[in-house]
Amino acid sequence: MTKQARHIGQALGLMLVAAVALTGCDKDPVANGDRPDPTEPVNLPVIGQGRHESRYTAEVAVRNAFAYTTTWHHRSAPGNAIFVWDVTGVPSLADSVIVHGASTLGDIQISDDGALVVVAKEGAPGFIVIYDASRPDSLVELSRFSSNDTNAGVHTVKLGRVSGRLYAFLSVNLGGSNTPSRLVNVDITTPVNPTQVLARPMGLPFIHDTFVRDGILFTALWDGGLSIWDIGGGNENGTVADPVLISNIVTVDGHVHNMWWFHNPNNSEKKYVFVGEESGGAVGATSSGDVHVVDISDIENPREVAFYNVPGAGAHNFSMDEPSEMLYAAFYNGGVRALDVSGDLGVCPDSARASDGRCDMRLAGREAGIALSTGDPQVSIWGVAVSGNRLYASDMLSGLFALDITALKR
Amino acid sequence: MVAVAPLLAIALAVPRPIHAQMAGSDNRVRLGAHAIGMVSRVDPGIGGVVETDGYLTQPMIHGYATLWSGLFTIAGTLNLEGLTMPGGELAPGNAGEGFIDRRHPHTFMHELMATFSPQLTGVDFTLSAGRGFAPFGTDDPMTRPFVRYPANHHWAQILERWTITAAARLGMFTIEAGLFNGDEPEAPEDIAGLERVGDSRAVRATLRPVHSLELQASHAYVESPGFRAGPGLDHRQWSASARLDHALSPSSRLYVFLEMAETNEYDGDRKVFVFTSVLGETAWRPGPWTAALRFERTTRPEEERLDDPYRSQRPHVEASILGATRWNTVTAHAARSFPNGGLRFEPFAELSRSTVDEVTGAIFDPLALYGSTELWSLSIGLRMTAGLQHDRMGRYGAALPPGVSHADHEMSMTGRQ
Repeated sequence: MTKQARHIGQALGLMLVAAVALTGCDKDPVANGDRPDPTEPVNLPVIGQGRHESRYTAEVAVRNAFAYTTTWHHRSAPGNAIFVWDVTGVPSLADSVIVHGASTLGDIQISDDGALVVVAKEGAPGFIVIYDASRPDSLVELSRFSSNDTNAGVHTVKLGRVSGRLYAFLSVNLGGSNTPSRLVNVDITTPVNPTQVLARPMGLPFIHDTFVRDGILFTALWDGGLSIWDIGGGNENGTVADPVLISNIVTVDGHVHNMWWFHNPNNSEKKYVFVGEESGGAVGATSSGDVHVVDISDIENPREVAFYNVPGAGAHNFSMDEPSEMLYAAFYNGGVRALDVSGDLGVCPDSARASDGRCDMRLAGREAGIALSTGDPQVSIWGVAVSGNRLYASDMLSGLFALDITALKR
Repeated sequence: MVAVAPLLAIALAVPRPIHAQMAGSDNRVRLGAHAIGMVSRVDPGIGGVVETDGYLTQPMIHGYATLWSGLFTIAGTLNLEGLTMPGGELAPGNAGEGFIDRRHPHTFMHELMATFSPQLTGVDFTLSAGRGFAPFGTDDPMTRPFVRYPANHHWAQILERWTITAAARLGMFTIEAGLFNGDEPEAPEDIAGLERVGDSRAVRATLRPVHSLELQASHAYVESPGFRAGPGLDHRQWSASARLDHALSPSSRLYVFLEMAETNEYDGDRKVFVFTSVLGETAWRPGPWTAALRFERTTRPEEERLDDPYRSQRPHVEASILGATRWNTVTAHAARSFPNGGLRFEPFAELSRSTVDEVTGAIFDPLALYGSTELWSLSIGLRMTAGLQHDRMGRYGAALPPGVSHADHEMSMTGRQ
């Protein structure tokens, strides 16, 4: 072989290597936006914190200038308070509301028009409280709803509008071996007169959460998996008062805790449901449970295509920045994790594929952002809520963090 | 008063143990009753508040029948705590069956066990079945010198289960193996669990090298004890103990007891939590007086509490706990007995000091909940007994020490006669 031929061969070899490398890059499904180093997650900066330590903080909801947090369990004071935070700057306490008759609160929700705030009261006797939020910094109680079906305690409440009417979807967990868990749907269109339209036993053994969008209801049924119901938006003639099951999937390891149906405004896809798994741990020190990605492009045959695992920490509640194609997940002692959910989540290099065929989102480079994960300060992040360029994270131990997510904006 | 009435009736009607001969066979039935009237003060209770409460605790009626010359025996205990203390007994550090920092009332059918004793050569073999204790761990605390239960009750005993247990004693060695239902009771009237018999198992080995000394080791697999439907965490439990009950003189006895227990909680094959206990107790009984001292170091889970902070969710929702606390408790007990025929009255005082720490780094903060990490409790009361008393509670048939049965128990430190 001549020297020239060797050079040509070396050049061709380099071109081949480059082509393979470029092909590999093309196969990388992650669109990394403006991240400085797309292979490394961004550390999301803390803008500030509103501190509260006499009660454990639970869920967070935010709209415009105000955020609401609930409280939970017994610390030096019981979990019977809703805190109202002014979040125009660093979160600062604007008001607090004591929920009489409560010692542990769960979810808090803001209606889509901002007119109402609804909070769930856990433990027997369970109920929801509906507040007028027309002055968002000064909630006024409008009504309470309870029934025999809520008596065991309302673990979560989600709001959803179906056919022009506003509903509260209550997850009521079992009140002993003889009282099964159940979904309770309440029409709160007239908030001073909430009306129960459904109580249906479900869950193995728990029903933990619901998610409602476009007339489709998702229920998190623990080891019973994720169920998808037509409540007016499907083709099964279902209604809120009589949901019709479309399909069910038990994600790997069960313990289905919460979910989010992703509507991608950039391509109009409604393909993925993100499922939170909550497994065992000592809250604040250890936790476990993955984020599972379920492809429902064939809604009657959902399939799990990917997962995200944080060693030593477990998933809790979600929020999304859908235009930026970012999923934010509370991870208790693991802080906050941001996942890039653009593109096809079921496609990944073989090196990122688990033995069961699912894509490992961390190995696929989809871990886009991290916050509050170092252990200093110790945190136990319960919930997250996106608003503009900020993410609000409720910390059971210390109150409400505001994080800057500008780096992950698209 | 509903519960006190039968006790008084038995006490008055049965000044001495019953030895009722049944017609046509060598059969006999014995009855007994027991109760403790008590006032307890805990400082601090939850929220830094001093709690004072009074109740009739451990009200029980015992029955023991020997049939066909001992071929069959039946042991029964009716426990009336569900009537006399439905809200439980103030007990910092105790936890179980939906109660926390209060001891739960036991079920009305505390035990009802039938034992078949075939006459075999060379080995003492029995087969017991019914509702009672699984062959695991140590004696029920109510048959030991102290009134207040230790925090390790659910780590060191498995009781109120439908159980089938085989026991064989050969010389100084005894082995037991049993099947039972893993689910623990949910309420005093609860007798459910038959459908789960066999999902849990235990084996216990006992060595008695000399008459007064007993060494024990046992292991149990308990399926989903806190969740009857079955999806709760499973327990793999270990126990080891040494028990000395020795006569120092005709009127004086010494009792020394040491135990270690460990409970591993599993989610499937994954170990999730581990809880441990070390306990030592001793008692000296010169004549009518009793002086006893106990040290205990036990960890327990901290679960989500309900509106009543002395209660926790049952079944436990989700899979997480708020942390684990270690309770170091020293308890001193003094009492004097006043026997009167078949009746016995024993005024007592019991003082405990507990310290509590969170040991996992989780969010639970005992200082925030109690206002202090040092808790004191004082109980003063009167123990009343009539007729038959359980000398050992937690064993049946061949597993009982030689020469000791529920019907013919010897005078001992713990079996109060």
